[in-house]
Amino acid sequence: MEEKAIDYFRKYESIIPDFERFLASLLTPQPYWLRVNTLKISTQKLIERLLQKGFVLEQFGNLNAYKIIEKPVKHPGATLEYSLGYYYIQDLSSMAPVLALNPSNEDTVLDMAAAPGSKTTMMAELMRNEGLIVANDINFNRIKSLAGNIERLGITDVILTQKDARVASFGLKFSKILLDAPCSGEGVYRKNPWGFKGVDERQHRYLGMQQMRMLKNASNHLEEGGIIVYSTCTYHPYENESVVKYAIEKLNLAPIKVKIPIPHIVGVDRWKDETYEFHEDCIRIYPHMVDTGGMFIAVLAKE
Amino acid sequence: MERFGISREILEKYTFFERGRKIWAFSGKYLEIGDIELIGIKALTKGRVLKPSTAFLRIVGKRASKNVIRLNYEEMLLFMKGEDIERSFPVEPGYVIVVWEEDVLGCGFYKNGVLKSQIPSKYRMQDSWI
Ligand SMILES: C[S@@+](CC[C@H](N)C(=O)[O-])C[C@H]1O[C@@H](n2cnc3c(N)ncnc32)[C@H](O)[C@@H]1O
Repeated sequence: MEEKAIDYFRKYESIIPDFERFLASLLTPQPYWLRVNTLKISTQKLIERLLQKGFVLEQFGNLNAYKIIEKPVKHPGATLEYSLGYYYIQDLSSMAPVLALNPSNEDTVLDMAAAPGSKTTMMAELMRNEGLIVANDINFNRIKSLAGNIERLGITDVILTQKDARVASFGLKFSKILLDAPCSGEGVYRKNPWGFKGVDERQHRYLGMQQMRMLKNASNHLEEGGIIVYSTCTYHPYENESVVKYAIEKLNLAPIKVKIPIPHIVGVDRWKDETYEFHEDCIRIYPHMVDTGGMFIAVLAKE
Repeated sequence: MERFGISREILEKYTFFERGRKIWAFSGKYLEIGDIELIGIKALTKGRVLKPSTAFLRIVGKRASKNVIRLNYEEMLLFMKGEDIERSFPVEPGYVIVVWEEDVLGCGFYKNGVLKSQIPSKYRMQDSWI
């Protein structure tokens, strides 16, 4: 299976730097990261409690992101503190789109593809349970787990909807929109190598077209002066830079340089016969940079 | 919430929405959006008396001044596993807020010297948990 995965990812040899290290990272299990739910407990208190229970944690910079180096239980959520909603298991790379969006309690936010809510709950935490987040997903079972996470973490500024992000109307305009789009999921390979199903060029194209439809709908729901964060957890340019190119050329959105305190590199400048002049405004996070999953992020503004 | 002596100021930041037998608490800015699945979190269920949800008590229960039961460590473990605790507590019979040290564990039901855990199964601790 490992060989099959390596063969699959070879297609990115020309765009992923340090490619051999990237391949090697795929063969090592991805560590868990946690985020303290500061709506319910102070960071210091929770960290002390977890250390006392035998966890070994390493904070990333001064972010609310802790890598779990050692855990005294099989699953990192098998604790009283987890049941009480004091923390959330969330990969550092999955925090990056929220840092790029940087929502505040003044904002009205649309999270178009929200389940199971890692980013919704992080946004609510930054917004201190104020403002408004409309969290949407098309899949009912996934909405149930989103609702479960919202409830466990004590989040009260979210309205949940079940709509098709490609075509639905959300009834108002938003100051910030997160489109964490459904994608081929190559960046989460390490989390579940057994469940990973790669896709071919034609399917990457198809996914890209669906993402463009969602982004177009996002743009229709964005206030003047508002911003959209477009993110995926996959590597193929058809689902990333190509979608951003469409947003710039067809939706008149303007790319804004992404600035976040998590190591990353800029987007790719070409793939096959397509070129992406704006590539330096986008970012890519790879698993061999800080031992996380992979992520692509672009920030787009309506001027 | 009067039963728990939780002040109006604490509750003022929530708007309560009634849907069927359930009442939901929402602290955001309410805007009309249509076709809503859920708003905020479930706070109360209507019955013969109002039953507070564990999730909502975990948010506002720290501010309660009445009908609060404090458990010791062993009792906390039992309660979090969904088991009954036989001991008499100085509270009125009915729904109570159950606390261990600084943690609000959730909702319990107290009658005739027995505290019944109302912790939903999804929040219960299992034997392998710490
Ligand atoms: C990458 S996941 C989102 C992860 C989520 N943002 C988080 O941080 O926890 C993509 C989500 O898009 C949803 N989805 C797929 N097609 C959709 C559509 N047409 N409209 C809305 N959501 C859709 C999937 O059900 C899935 O939950």
